Amino acid sequence: MQKTVDSADAYVIDGKLALPYSYFAGRVGSTFITALRDSRQILGVRCEKCHKVFVPPRQTCEKCMADLRENWVTVENTGEVINFTVVRYSDRHLPREAPYILAMIKLDGADTPMVHILDEVKSEDVKAGMRVEAVYSENTTSTILDIDHFKPVS
Amino acid sequence: MSEYHGIHIEDIFNSMKARFRPEGAAGVNHTFGYDISEEGKWRLTVKDGDMSLEKADDLSSCDVVMETDGATFVGLNIGKVDAMSALTAGKLKIRGDVNTFGITSKIFQKYVPPGAETTQEQELIALKQTISVDQRFATGPVMGKFLQGLKNKTILAIKCPSCGRLQSPPREACAICRVRNDEWVEIGPKGEMRMMEYCYYASPDPLTGETRETPYGAIGILLDGCQGEEVFWHLLRPDQLDRVQMGIVMGDRVRHGTRLRPVWAKNRTGSVFDIQYFEIDE
Repeated sequence: MQKTVDSADAYVIDGKLALPYSYFAGRVGSTFITALRDSRQILGVRCEKCHKVFVPPRQTCEKCMADLRENWVTVENTGEVINFTVVRYSDRHLPREAPYILAMIKLDGADTPMVHILDEVKSEDVKAGMRVEAVYSENTTSTILDIDHFKPVS
Repeated sequence: MSEYHGIHIEDIFNSMKARFRPEGAAGVNHTFGYDISEEGKWRLTVKDGDMSLEKADDLSSCDVVMETDGATFVGLNIGKVDAMSALTAGKLKIRGDVNTFGITSKIFQKYVPPGAETTQEQELIALKQTISVDQRFATGPVMGKFLQGLKNKTILAIKCPSCGRLQSPPREACAICRVRNDEWVEIGPKGEMRMMEYCYYASPDPLTGETRETPYGAIGILLDGCQGEEVFWHLLRPDQLDRVQMGIVMGDRVRHGTRLRPVWAKNRTGSVFDIQYFEIDE
């Protein structure tokens, strides 16, 4: 088909969208973060009825809706890779330059996986079921990135 | 004396004098009664920036009286029990005005159990951040020509070859006739106001993230050369929001709206804000 439009006036505008926001971790989330930051402990909450340990912690059990706010348990800083993906693009809101690996990691003592960065390993060497351990960051940011990343258990 | 949450009730009352904040009690002139079941009754008098507390048998002279049990009372003081929940659950009763009791949180510093002076209330984490996302907007040939027109102080509309209607900002096709638009027409730049929306909440500009001041007037203008619903949307000069009149067409009765003219930006870049806003043409 013949192109009938005159695109002489077409151009591209570059912009930068800045979005200010405030994210409140909540009481449960704050306890999780401060324990991670101050004592390098990874906390979860346990539902006694469902025998399930949630990491990261949540206020209520997803199955029975029980209040879990006081049921703190400490889990290990080691665990296994449940699944993973490789992030292949960089953007300023992302925590790392691409490529890097995001893995679902189920910590020992937990029943739910959490997402974190997996490093010190090549992406082609990552396998589901792989044993990993937390590497804490030297400088705290009072965020989940107080765990800098996970690495394969040596 | 029993302990609740590891704390004696007496400790809370005995420390009131030390926790008293005269600046918080300024202008307060009330007597508060505390009726703690199986523990006793206390009467607190706050007057002229000072306070006194005594054990009492009869609280009927108090302005407000709190009736509760020891565990709830201690829980309220150390922040383990929420007052509203306790009220709803019937564990806490207030005789008199509930809000009057609320004042006590200003009059006294929070009770801190001995040995726990350094353990403050739980640290709460809030992240304040500004995410910055790169954006690219490709005008395409049609919008590009329209924006270039604004740069040259002309407002262009595109005309449907089938139904003849004008669209500005232009679209490549007429969505009604489903044909490609091909003819450009210059409209305006003056026109008459059709409608205005008072906007009290401004969403961020998608290209800069900046938020304009509110309230602002988003207006539909029937530019000269246009008819019917061929209105052009822009902003009204902020100080003229209450000086304009909408135009109304009902059948063959027409009430014309206020005549408006564009105010062109000094530095025009090919943006919809090459028109700063429209103002009254007077």
